[in-house]
Amino acid sequence: MKTKALLFFLTFAPLWAHAIARIEADSLITKGTRAYAEGDHRTALVYFDSVATTYASASLFYNIGNCHYKLNDVPHAILFYERALRLAPGDADVRANLELARQSVVDRVNELPLFTLGSTWSELRGGRDADQWARRSLWAGLLFFVLLSAAVILRGAWRKILYGFSAIALFGTILSIGFASYRHQEVTSTDAAIIMAPKVDVRSEPSNSSTVLFVLHKGTKVTVLQQSNDWSEVKLSNGNVGWMPPSSLERI
Amino acid sequence: MIRTSLLLLLLHLAGAMVAQEISFTATVDRNSIAAGEYAKLTVTLSNSRESFQAPDFGGLVVVQGPFENSSFNYVNGRMSSSAARTWVLTGTDPGKFTIGAAKVRIGNGIMQTEPIVIEVTKGTAKPSDASESQGQQRDSNLFATIALSKGKARVGEQVVATYTLYSRYANIELSKYELPKMDGFWAEEIDLGDTNWEDQLRTVNGLQYRVAVLKRQVLFPQRSGTLRIAPIELECIVNRSFFNRGSLVKVRSNVVELNALALPSNRPEGFNGAVGEMGMTVKVDRNTVKANEAIELTVTYTGRGNLKLIEAPQLNFPNDFEAYDPKVTDRINVTGSGMSGSRSFQYLVIPRHEGGFSLDPIVFSYFDTQQGAFRTIHSDDLTIEVTPGDGGPAAQVQRPNKMDVEVLGKDIRYIRTGDLDLEPAGKHLFGSMPWLLGMGTPALAFLLFLGWRKKQAADSADVVGTRRKRADKVARERLNEAEQALRASDRSTFYDALGRALHGYLGDKFAMGPAETAAANIKDRFTAFTNGEELAASYIELLEACDMARYAPVEDRPRQQLYEQAAELIRRTEQTARA
Repeated sequence: MKTKALLFFLTFAPLWAHAIARIEADSLITKGTRAYAEGDHRTALVYFDSVATTYASASLFYNIGNCHYKLNDVPHAILFYERALRLAPGDADVRANLELARQSVVDRVNELPLFTLGSTWSELRGGRDADQWARRSLWAGLLFFVLLSAAVILRGAWRKILYGFSAIALFGTILSIGFASYRHQEVTSTDAAIIMAPKVDVRSEPSNSSTVLFVLHKGTKVTVLQQSNDWSEVKLSNGNVGWMPPSSLERI
Repeated sequence: MIRTSLLLLLLHLAGAMVAQEISFTATVDRNSIAAGEYAKLTVTLSNSRESFQAPDFGGLVVVQGPFENSSFNYVNGRMSSSAARTWVLTGTDPGKFTIGAAKVRIGNGIMQTEPIVIEVTKGTAKPSDASESQGQQRDSNLFATIALSKGKARVGEQVVATYTLYSRYANIELSKYELPKMDGFWAEEIDLGDTNWEDQLRTVNGLQYRVAVLKRQVLFPQRSGTLRIAPIELECIVNRSFFNRGSLVKVRSNVVELNALALPSNRPEGFNGAVGEMGMTVKVDRNTVKANEAIELTVTYTGRGNLKLIEAPQLNFPNDFEAYDPKVTDRINVTGSGMSGSRSFQYLVIPRHEGGFSLDPIVFSYFDTQQGAFRTIHSDDLTIEVTPGDGGPAAQVQRPNKMDVEVLGKDIRYIRTGDLDLEPAGKHLFGSMPWLLGMGTPALAFLLFLGWRKKQAADSADVVGTRRKRADKVARERLNEAEQALRASDRSTFYDALGRALHGYLGDKFAMGPAETAAANIKDRFTAFTNGEELAASYIELLEACDMARYAPVEDRPRQQLYEQAAELIRRTEQTARA
């Protein structure tokens, strides 16, 4: 009997651990929310940050971004809003706050406007989490095979109708796999970065003696093309390319 | 000093001397002499008969005296007397000489005069009266002072400055009068009315002066540090008469410094610079009001301090309350003791919609100079009950003008609360093992399903094969029927079932119709079997036995044996067929 209980416990131990960690994270978030409501943004940030070491979600990153914004740390606020946006590109709250945070960025580098995702197609493509699309692809795949099996069994008019439906399901499956893979790539790529240093010189070559091409300020978003030990090659959204030390930026 | 000891004495002698002040003073006619010149020292005791000791002359030489002189007055039923002794003194060496205090014992106490400093200068040069006196050095006949009520104050704490003119001239006219510039202060005049000489003479260093307070100001330091008040400058014409043009005397007062301390840095919420001893009252003229009717909210600050610097409090009225700028009413007195009184802010508020509203408490913080700390006053919560306006809600048909929602400020949106849809960081469903399994399992299941279907279809296409395969199973079922009849001892059913079982089995096995199961046919079919002839013979024999028993009441062997033979035969046939 005892061994059975032990066996049971051992089997489910990982699940327990996971559940306990989850409860702990929830209580940390509750504490953080309370601290934020009381205006103690620094404490709230500590709580949210400790959850973010093991968990990720657009809302969590959004909250952390808010804390940074309230503490007047605009570059970090932008960084976390961008992270939240990557997980949930359609989130209106994140967009609104990011827009506001970007207003205090010094550099105006023809930033791509945020609200271009108007059409249903891009909403559909980008508005969902990668995992959500992956789940969808699983359901669509299951539906496809069930419909196909039913079509094989049945005869006559029903068979034709079910073949038609299963074709639709197949299309849906392929589409959702495509989106899931696209979003997965988007979420896992760390090409984009935010400038963290108050001011950084961007040079023509990866050496301190080279010409300064332009100067960037904190909060500006760049794309990292390549990185060697002490230098990163970055590209601005207006196409300018140059080298800067990677310590001055943080990847989204 | 004299006044305090006087007061003490009065307390002692309160019974004996009614309304008669004892005074004991020492005066000189001049306190600056050249060596060899004379100064006259007079010590006067009023309203007492006690004899007093001569003071210590501190190195000065008595040339003449003492002369005694006493007087007695009776005015309006009130007696007054005085006794005076006068000495004529001179100094031979230059320097400063201090005439000590004269003492007199009155009752249990001792009264003293104040010491007097006499300055003896070299030679016979007379101190020039009319010449411009420089800096702090003052003409002993005419000078001005600035006095502060305290030398140390917090920023914003009130300090009273008094500008006083001392004069020994009989006739004096102020011709020019320049007030010092106030740098670092906010000043408030105290209204003194006309400037007049005070009734009482004041003795300074033995000389008696007429005194006039020129001006009083309440000063509020505006910044911390040592604040300097520049000297007051006067020009007076003295001794002017019908025959004399008089002479011009310039007077410059002393310079006064105030040590202004900064307020502590822990400024509480709602502090807007009020310093002193303050109080606040908040009053609403009524708590229940109809919509669209006005209520009056009055916030009154009372106390002592820089009341005039208090600004209107920031009130957060509920939305849909129309509030007008407050009316400020001051009842502030500026007197010699400083600024005191009240300042009130009267708000006219019109609620536009009915409902219960509560106003946030008004917070007022000030620096308490008595306690040396900040204090914060919270008003009580104010609740206002707004009832529907006249004629009920219908009266509100008069619609306000539509206007755009005014954007007052920009701020980020509030954080998310509640469930944040947490996912373990760095784990993605797409491409993971569960996802691959989830995609692969239905596909695999479908393929298996297809394979099964195919086999099924192939089997159903081979009808004969199916029948042959199922022959054994059908025969068993029929034999089962026969067995039941055997148990029930139902003779005709038993033979019927057994016969049908055998016929049926053979028919299924060799794809024959019911009519074809004749003895010849059976033999024919069994030729392909290894021991076909024996099997065929057994079948024919059994079938005959069944037929016999069915149609004639003859049973050549027990039914049980017959049944077992049939079952055994079918079993053997199957065995042979599989081999």
